[in-house]
Amino acid sequence: MNNGFTRKASAILTYGFVGLMAFLSVFPFIWMLLGATNSSIDIIKGKILPGSALATNVSAFFTQVNAPLVFWNSAKIAILATVFTLAVSSLAGYGFEMFRSRHRDRIYSALLLTMMIPFAALMIPLFIMMGKAGLINTHFAVVLPTIGSAFIVFYFRQCTKAFPSELRDAAKVDGLKEWQIFLYIYVPVMRSTYAAAFIIVFMTAWNNYLWPLIVLQSNETKTITLVISSLASAYYPDYGVVMVGTILATLPTLAVFFFMQRQFVQGMLGSVK
Amino acid sequence: MDMRTYLPRFAAIALASASFLAVTAAEAKEITIWCWDPNFNVAIMKEAGARYSKSHPDVTFNIVDFAKADVEQKLQTGLSSGTADALPDIVLIEDYGAQKYLQSFPGAFAPLSGTVDYSGFAPYKVGLMTLDGQVYGMPFDSGVTGLYYRKDYLEQAGFKPEDMQNLTWDRFIEIGQQVEAKTGKKMMGFDPTDAGLVRIIMQSAGQWYFDKDGKANITGNAALKASLETVGKIMSSNIYKPAAGWADWVGTFTSGDVATVITGVWITGTVKAQPDQSGKWGVAPIPALSIDGATHASNLGGSSWYVLESSAEKAEAIDFLNEIYAKDVDFYQTILQDRGAVGSLLAARSGAAYGAADPFFGDEKVWQNFSDWLAKVPSVNYGVFTNEADTAVTAQLPALSQGMPVDDVLKAIDAEISGQIQ
Repeated sequence: MNNGFTRKASAILTYGFVGLMAFLSVFPFIWMLLGATNSSIDIIKGKILPGSALATNVSAFFTQVNAPLVFWNSAKIAILATVFTLAVSSLAGYGFEMFRSRHRDRIYSALLLTMMIPFAALMIPLFIMMGKAGLINTHFAVVLPTIGSAFIVFYFRQCTKAFPSELRDAAKVDGLKEWQIFLYIYVPVMRSTYAAAFIIVFMTAWNNYLWPLIVLQSNETKTITLVISSLASAYYPDYGVVMVGTILATLPTLAVFFFMQRQFVQGMLGSVK
Repeated sequence: MDMRTYLPRFAAIALASASFLAVTAAEAKEITIWCWDPNFNVAIMKEAGARYSKSHPDVTFNIVDFAKADVEQKLQTGLSSGTADALPDIVLIEDYGAQKYLQSFPGAFAPLSGTVDYSGFAPYKVGLMTLDGQVYGMPFDSGVTGLYYRKDYLEQAGFKPEDMQNLTWDRFIEIGQQVEAKTGKKMMGFDPTDAGLVRIIMQSAGQWYFDKDGKANITGNAALKASLETVGKIMSSNIYKPAAGWADWVGTFTSGDVATVITGVWITGTVKAQPDQSGKWGVAPIPALSIDGATHASNLGGSSWYVLESSAEKAEAIDFLNEIYAKDVDFYQTILQDRGAVGSLLAARSGAAYGAADPFFGDEKVWQNFSDWLAKVPSVNYGVFTNEADTAVTAQLPALSQGMPVDDVLKAIDAEISGQIQ
């Protein structure tokens, strides 16, 4: 009896705590959704109930922002960055783990050290390089510096440690070349790792702000993050419109995450079937 | 005639028109402009561009909007990297930051003295963009300050509009106490994390965080001292409604909770956005300090246009700014009416929009008044480190509200600024 009561109390406490934490993390999201239905003045006044301004806000967003172009720019950058990063960085991660050499770990440490350099320090040299290459105000300039990602190389190398080397040996005995092993054995086996990396890279690229801001120069090349930043920094921002933009900008990352959630969790656990 | 005699003529005409097209193509110039706020600066620049294109059909405009912080970040990166083709032809810079860019990047901006007649502009606006005798930039919107007050609340407390003219800060605080006693309303909204009021009061007495040579001017700065004393009195006499952040501060007067607002003229649109308060507001000059050099005119915020020296369209960009912003009085009427923008060209006051009586303010000619005050704003040197100084002042506001002696507050501010700007 007493025991049952304690269990109940602890369950209430646990669920209460978890519920509170869940509320705290979900609240900004709910607030964003509610904000999109309210006028700017109501949002400033702190109204957190659904309003009737959704249609006004949506139509204002689409008149103020060339949405198809802006989303196309963001999507193009995110997809190109994801495809190239996965291709280049997974190859590097595979190589670092599979091929032994005297300098391997030293090079690897040097690579990891580059993660310590803050982007602010790289920004101007990188900008000068892009200027010399004539790439300023191109989407290529946004994608290029991100595709050799030290973090994704690191991630793939760690996951490759769990890749059974017998598989590679067996494939070799069967006469597969190294690129065939990579493409036909490694990639399918590691697909949950790829899925997790896909989500990470896609979200980073989609939400990337500082570097696109620096290299993109015209209204025609801007991404959704830059447009929202501009809307939100007006002297009298229309927060309802900003909320609509933020929701629309969140949808693709949400879709990608839900679509790949199962693989993502598996990838994070580092499982190899 | 047969075809053969025509052919050469056709060829000649085609050739001539082709070369004509080539010539116009070479002459067509696109001026690229970076600025922030789609509904204000961007919209105003589009209007300016449209006016200029009427008389100069060969010039087109590419106005790119970024957030203010983003424009600054891009400008800083572009100038630091020396990659000239990465920069626009014209850029908008906030007045507080103008000297930072002019002094950090000598030669980056085109001097406009000699081309632009600066005598037509509010002197403080010209002063802030002057370096070593050269004037850079085209003065744009002003933050000339006013004391917006609720006539109905003040009348309940026994004050007429005449009583609100030419106040001192001490008198302002006295009135505030009576307003609260009789109406229950606070005198003003105040955000204790925003040093804007300190800046307004300090500049009204002709001083700034920096002296004419750009050296920190804190401990010996009578205007800053008096300004902190005033803000301290406002806090200790409890005549303000505390606000957390900008939106909350705006809420203090849009909701009708306070009797006055002291800030830049750009707030007018927000004040007028409450139609139910129409006719209840008046505008007076801001209160003055009781020290030497004290005036009833000051400024908060504002920004100006600058032409990049490296620009390929430099000549066109300068001519454009000069033709519209320095000469077109009618343009200033349009942007006042459509966007609530008060420019810095003094002649703009002669136009119809500036002369109009505003029913929202009980048919006062508020724009004429602001225009009068605009010409009287004391000119100060905003220096290179205004933002750093402002942070230091903000950090000391809590100590001030807890009754720390103002001289100690000044010393603390001075120590922090000297530490930051080494």
